Amino acid sequence: MKIALCSSLVPFINGGARNIVEWLKSLLEEHGHQVEIVYLPEVDSPELLFQQMMAFRWVDLEMADRIICFRPEAHLIPHRHKILWFIHHIRAFYDLWDSPYRGFPDDLKHRGIRDALRRVDGAGLREAKAIFTNSRVVSDRLKHFNQIDSEILYPPVFQSERFRCAGFNDEIVCICRVEHHKRQHLLVEALQHTQTPVRLRLSGASAGADYPRDLSQRISELGLTDRVSLDNRWISEEEKVAQLAHCLAAAYLPLDEDSYGYPSVEASHASKPILTTSDSGGVLELVQDGMNGYITEPSPEALADAMDRLYLDRTKTEAMGISARDRLAELNISWSHVLQRLLA
Amino acid sequence: MNLIVFTPAGVRSAIGRMAALVTRELVALGCQVTVVRTEAQRLLSTDMHDFGATVLAWDDEASVLALVRSADACVYQIGNNIEFHEGGVRWLADFPGLVCLHDFFLGHLFYGWAQTHRVQAESVLQNWYGKEMAERFFSFSDSESFIEGTREFMPMTEWICSRAEGVITHSQWGCDRVLNSCSGPVRVAPLPYDAPGAINSPFDRRSTDGGTLKLLTIGHANPNKRIASVIQAIGLSPLLRQRIKYRLVGAIQPDAMESLSALAAHLGVNLLISGEVDDSELNRAVNESDVISCIRWPVLEAASASAIEAMLYGKAVIVTDTGFYADIPESCAIKINHSNEIVELQSSLISLLEDQSRVVSLGAAAQNWAAKTFTAKNYAEQVMEIILDISRSAPAIKAINYFCQTLRQWSYRDNPVVMAELTHQLHIFEQNGTP
Amino acid sequence: MKVLIVNSMAPFVWGGAEELAAHLQKNLVIAGHEAEILRIPFQWEPAERIPSQMLMVRAFELWNVDHVIALKFPAYLIRHPKKTLWLLHQYRQAYDLYDAGQTNLPPGQEGLELKYLIRQADQESFAESRNIFTNSEVTRQRLLKYNGFDAAVLLPPVNDPELFPGGDNGDYIFAGGRVNGMKRQHLLLEGLAKADARVKLLIAGPPDSPDDAARLQAAVERLGLADRVRLDLRFLPRQVYAEYVNRSAAVAYLPYDEDSLGYVAMEAATAAKALITTADSGGILGLVKHGETGWVAQPNAKDLAVVMGAVFENSARTKSYGQNARALWESMKIKWPETVETLLR
Repeated sequence: MKIALCSSLVPFINGGARNIVEWLKSLLEEHGHQVEIVYLPEVDSPELLFQQMMAFRWVDLEMADRIICFRPEAHLIPHRHKILWFIHHIRAFYDLWDSPYRGFPDDLKHRGIRDALRRVDGAGLREAKAIFTNSRVVSDRLKHFNQIDSEILYPPVFQSERFRCAGFNDEIVCICRVEHHKRQHLLVEALQHTQTPVRLRLSGASAGADYPRDLSQRISELGLTDRVSLDNRWISEEEKVAQLAHCLAAAYLPLDEDSYGYPSVEASHASKPILTTSDSGGVLELVQDGMNGYITEPSPEALADAMDRLYLDRTKTEAMGISARDRLAELNISWSHVLQRLLA
Repeated sequence: MNLIVFTPAGVRSAIGRMAALVTRELVALGCQVTVVRTEAQRLLSTDMHDFGATVLAWDDEASVLALVRSADACVYQIGNNIEFHEGGVRWLADFPGLVCLHDFFLGHLFYGWAQTHRVQAESVLQNWYGKEMAERFFSFSDSESFIEGTREFMPMTEWICSRAEGVITHSQWGCDRVLNSCSGPVRVAPLPYDAPGAINSPFDRRSTDGGTLKLLTIGHANPNKRIASVIQAIGLSPLLRQRIKYRLVGAIQPDAMESLSALAAHLGVNLLISGEVDDSELNRAVNESDVISCIRWPVLEAASASAIEAMLYGKAVIVTDTGFYADIPESCAIKINHSNEIVELQSSLISLLEDQSRVVSLGAAAQNWAAKTFTAKNYAEQVMEIILDISRSAPAIKAINYFCQTLRQWSYRDNPVVMAELTHQLHIFEQNGTP
Repeated sequence: MKVLIVNSMAPFVWGGAEELAAHLQKNLVIAGHEAEILRIPFQWEPAERIPSQMLMVRAFELWNVDHVIALKFPAYLIRHPKKTLWLLHQYRQAYDLYDAGQTNLPPGQEGLELKYLIRQADQESFAESRNIFTNSEVTRQRLLKYNGFDAAVLLPPVNDPELFPGGDNGDYIFAGGRVNGMKRQHLLLEGLAKADARVKLLIAGPPDSPDDAARLQAAVERLGLADRVRLDLRFLPRQVYAEYVNRSAAVAYLPYDEDSLGYVAMEAATAAKALITTADSGGILGLVKHGETGWVAQPNAKDLAVVMGAVFENSARTKSYGQNARALWESMKIKWPETVETLLR
């Protein structure tokens, strides 16, 4: 089949959505399909939104047998066989309307844009033959705001067979962007309350210099430099696989994220349990407390307690790691499932 | 909502009176309203209706500009009179908004504006009506032939409505041109009015006059009020000549006064011409009357303030069965056909004389209906609702305008196949079917 | 700098322009920039759809981009304050092909209006561009004639010159590139049939369709050339192609009226191989100077036969033609670092 994968983007910003698209392309090509990726630019400015939306309506992909659309407003591209793997709305006009992240005034004009957008989005969404989302959170939002039902299709990680378990050392690793909303600082604060010699390894790049610098300072202040490794850069895939292979557990505790995040899936493939918090959002669709990891209150003390438990009760830790792996199958987090659903 | 209402404000303006009622209701409904009065400069210091809001003058450019920039929406009261609506036309040209269309025929307004904007005016005429029609517009020698020559084919409705983000009109009639020229939502809402001068129980004072019927025509004595026809109708019937007292209250030109008086005298009709009077005298005249003649030809207004007022006063009204008047329920007014004007006028008046209880029942039914329909609260609510509709259709309209502008820059000439290609995937942008 | 290359896309089709964009991206990165390619789907059938495609591009908003390099219609309509055009294609069906009656624009007034629309939009885009370059002299002439803009020619460099060091001249003439009617490989076969017995030919490259391959095979059989011709009709791995060039005695490329120099000619010149072409081949004549860097034959079998024979008549001459071709090519200074720098001026 000829399949077009369509998404919006901002040039030079590599978000998670690009990964899904690129990985899906490889997979589809492996299965003998011809794939074209269509990335189109999109800027969320209220003044310019509707003319961009109309532009998307003029995109002609009739020569494809089906199209799969990801980020907004790609779901507006018309096609006789349109499938959506809906990642998120333009959130400022939806769930972030009543939040400081809106970015424009709550006045008549903008409410008018909001209402019109929701209506048009709904109409565009309803043109699809099937609608998938990447998490329960997003499915709930589609239902709530657009009255549309959808099926959850969890995004798998690329070439998951790379991940393996080679043992359990004393380190809890956190491999993701080092940013405030990913909350590495919470882990650092927690470490000072631990009773065991458990260690932390933090790896990831940052957009700015402030947060990693503050983190580094705090580690010094707390006298934890010998127990915390902070590697402020993109680590290679090989390094990531190695870290996960040997670690005690993986921590992933962002503040209220929609999706469970690749780090938690990667850890699961490596048969390691996941440490997260009750306010992390989508991760909680994956992690079940005491089954494949621990979900704690977002306080340093609660986290410290969980970290100690991971260190002390190795049997349980190992067992939870195996459950983490099984959980992936339970939730159908696999490329074969993705393929089966998207090409149904 | 933070609104600006552009309107004539002087006590002589019926539209101003209506706007004041609506403004007070909008404020009561929680809106912040500022009024910008739109009369010609020489009238800007005349006494105003009580709006219950701050009133600015339209020629205070700096203040009005600042207001417009910070408002949620602009509401323009537009009628066919350049003296009253000069400011409205000026600001509407630069800042589209909701237009409350009081007259669907705007020939006089346009003509007045064209005196200082001739080149633009010719371009507007050509654009909407074509070169041939446009050439005729300024060629008429008198008022009557001007109206006759323009009302059907060049009413200038489109000129105003194409600048509107939405239109409220006051009857279904004449809507086609509105719908064809306004890209936003269009609604019909009954014109709000009140009758503060009405005496509460007008129905029990019939007895004393011994069968005389007092007939009244209010307002500027134009030919379209068909006064001459009324006089003729009365004059051709001995019964009516004896028992009808016909009064005219309102401004009248000397030559009209002369010819109508002569006609009445010649036919033996009891005609009293009062000329222009003040508000309290007008109220008294209405209250004392039995029947009010609201017949018109041609019908130029979208709704008739005087007819509504008459009904709110509990008076029996005689109307021409067309336009806005056709919407009045049969039980509330006597309707006559223009094609048989004088004969039907005669028979209506005779039948009222023969059954004077009908005068009372018509008046009561009319008052009941009018009081429920023509309320300022209802109108204000409609204004707020359509402003919300406008805010929801504005984003798509703005985008379309952007593309039209781009196409114009590329010297695009209208091509239906290309248009079809452009629009066929854009139907999902329609809000409530407004394309 | 963040440089966005903007190109039109015919979905599921990958051709020379896509290759060029990819190499441009690679070389921008080598020069120290961040570079991405934006490929915008373009549907030109039916012609009435074209205005919507133009408006679509015009409505796109680019944020986080320092410089745009646009290659084709309607991609170059995209708005950006720093936009450079490297014009590979205008919509020729509104220009020279319209005049030649080979257009998908409808006949009559309707077609004229569409043509005018396209031209107006083009004028606007050209005027708002910082610099305009074309990829060939032919494109440059067309731009000047129809739109009145005087652009500079910026020839696309060879993508991997290190693969073409050249070497001893072999016993065959190499004809590379896509195989189809317009590329006229069949003419070489007809020429070979009339040429000196020692002349050998190697035709290698991807046929556009099975029919194109069949035609050549049939011709070989019909003309009885099986012992002097080798056909390798497929998409060649780069190393294989390079070897064919490096070991040849001369390289032949004789398409009908092509805009650009042609990669085959450029690669051959890099490898210091003498060039064979025909008088009506178009852009390649910029590199093939008869009697200096190779031979320009008339487009008929007889003439080609003489030229092909000449390759093996005097090997020293053939070799020196090859050296001259290389010298001429190098004097044009068409290398990626310079190209990137020029585009970002």
